[in-house]
Amino acid sequence: MESLGDTLWDVVICGTGLQQSLLALALSRSGKKILHLDPNDFYGGAEAALTLQEATAWVERLDKSGSRSSSVFRSASITKSEDSPALSFSRAYSLALAPQLIHSRSQLLNDLVSSRAYKQVEFLAVGSFFIFQPPSEASEKPTLNRIPSTREDVFLTTSIPAKAKRGLMKFLKFVLDYDVEPKRESWQPYTDMPLSEFLSKEFKMDTQLQTYIITLTLSLDGNLSTKDGLAVIHRHLSSMGVFGPGFAAIYPKWGGISEIAQVSCRAGAVGGAVYMLGTGIESIDTTVADQIQLQLTSGDTVKTRMLVKSSEVAVEESGVSRLIVIIGSPLKMLFEAVVEGQQKPAVAVVALPSGSLTYTAGKTSPFPVYVFAHSSDTGECPVGQSMLYLTTMTTPDAEDVLGKALQSFLDAVGVQPSPDILYQLYYERMAGTVDGQMEGSILSFPAASPSLAFDDLTLGPVREAWKRVLGDAADESAYMTFADREGIADDDDDLYD
Amino acid sequence: MASDDSLPTLKVLLIGPSGAGKSALLTRYCDNEFDPESSTATIGIDFKIKRLAVHGKAYRLTLFDTAGQERFRTLSTSFYRGAHGVILVYDISSRASFLTMERWFDEAEAHTGPGVALFLVGAKLDKADHNREVSSEEGQALADSHGAQFCEVSSKTRQHVRDPFHKIVEQILASPGLTSGTSSRRGTTVRLNGNSAEGYLSGCSC
Repeated sequence: MESLGDTLWDVVICGTGLQQSLLALALSRSGKKILHLDPNDFYGGAEAALTLQEATAWVERLDKSGSRSSSVFRSASITKSEDSPALSFSRAYSLALAPQLIHSRSQLLNDLVSSRAYKQVEFLAVGSFFIFQPPSEASEKPTLNRIPSTREDVFLTTSIPAKAKRGLMKFLKFVLDYDVEPKRESWQPYTDMPLSEFLSKEFKMDTQLQTYIITLTLSLDGNLSTKDGLAVIHRHLSSMGVFGPGFAAIYPKWGGISEIAQVSCRAGAVGGAVYMLGTGIESIDTTVADQIQLQLTSGDTVKTRMLVKSSEVAVEESGVSRLIVIIGSPLKMLFEAVVEGQQKPAVAVVALPSGSLTYTAGKTSPFPVYVFAHSSDTGECPVGQSMLYLTTMTTPDAEDVLGKALQSFLDAVGVQPSPDILYQLYYERMAGTVDGQMEGSILSFPAASPSLAFDDLTLGPVREAWKRVLGDAADESAYMTFADREGIADDDDDLYD
Repeated sequence: MASDDSLPTLKVLLIGPSGAGKSALLTRYCDNEFDPESSTATIGIDFKIKRLAVHGKAYRLTLFDTAGQERFRTLSTSFYRGAHGVILVYDISSRASFLTMERWFDEAEAHTGPGVALFLVGAKLDKADHNREVSSEEGQALADSHGAQFCEVSSKTRQHVRDPFHKIVEQILASPGLTSGTSSRRGTTVRLNGNSAEGYLSGCSC
């Protein structure tokens, strides 16, 4: 077999996060010679799904690199109850570092369908969105209110007074074509003002209804502009019902985005790309014209025309804090189909609005906390357990806020006796560079956004990179559009008894 | 042959070290072809489909090759998902290839569910007379220690090439736990080609 150093590669891709993996998929029929590396010994980069063992190693590695770490992750720690007999073996779990929802109308899904890669991924329905309602009296329990998901649902719900329903319905109709005249005129004066102000003034929504709407945006700071808010709500509502009644988003089974990265890499391999994990780039030498020489951590030296990597370097002090929790209860009430004929949901979303949690003497949560609950149908935990992904904006107190949010959430769910918390992984994920870079033949992807719903902006740099690699041969209309690669046996059917 | 999506589908993987003869076995079984010159890694086929009738009942057998990802042992966990059986292939004329099999068994066992059907295949049986480096007994003993079935095949001469496939399918069908989910990836799974239904933005304008 040819050794790695003998080949002049057309492109070396470093990292198997979503963007690099989608690039491998996009190039999988190009005939280009591709070497695809990852310094981690697992696929998925910042979007990986980890077993318990991998999570332990991941935390240790972050610890060791400490403040010198160039990673977008930091402050990771694991808490396990001392004797957790209920905790199953390491591989029974997939902890998703990027538990993003994918809206049904996302371009990502179009790309996966046209490239045929979707066939190897199982998608699950994201079901109900709930709002956490703190108790009005200290002696009472908090509750969860479900946000109605369809028009019919709005009619039927008893949690919204009739008058408010009219405002809500009017707004839902408005969003449908909010960005065409004459509707555009009505919100333009509010463009950069908070969405809540627009909802209150133009649709007479009270605070409760405003919170419903803002929750649907999954906004991390809970304070988005009218322009951005309307765009995000339009995405949500226009995705509703696309793949079945009552849900607007889907989630890949077995760990979310990580699964898409793996399937994309498999497509790259089927197309002839060579894969190496646990291998990074030690040094880059660009002194030879038209060629990049790479010293790999494996000891190999390889030559390539192009290098694509990610700039997984934290550049900002802002980011999100996340707590991944394994719960010893299936939390069934969160995963019920509420619309007739609805797919059984595997994911539920619960928002704890800013100010709804008092986490320490007199201090209330400054930003919303979102809880993504995953049932065992996601394959991320054994039957009888469930996964929680709690996310909030990083602040010095974020870990305390998330701890309080977890307790309050479990109180509100109201399972008796209170379910066991089997395992907790806390970490902070900083925002990376927003823009990609191109220096000569070296291209860096911007770090993926830590948003809670997949952002189609992630896809632009992949397409740009694909164009760069193919140069004049790039046919835009053929991007990510492939035929099936199943080999139907030529031989007769195999019949035997 | 029609590819009938309604048939129960069985997913079987072929794994093992580079050059063991996985693709040759697959091509001989599925297409009844053998190319003595072909020694390069397999490119361009994601998986092969073979329709199979066992005891009068039809199945759709999907056979997945490693697509070169065995070279640096970078098969992904997603590759193993939902596999009903794994065929582990080594070359009887290469001691080195046989010595890697313990690790391949470990990987297969770690990434698949309990009770998945395992089958160890010693390939290139046509070389037995002059170049055999691994005895049949050693192969059998390794298979036994992992509760796997075993046979030796030659894709070149066609000797026994159908055995691993037939026997692994029989084993899969004999374990009801393995096939309970085969006919349906339905249930909780969303179909991306499904029809749209009523949402906020469709239906009557009231």
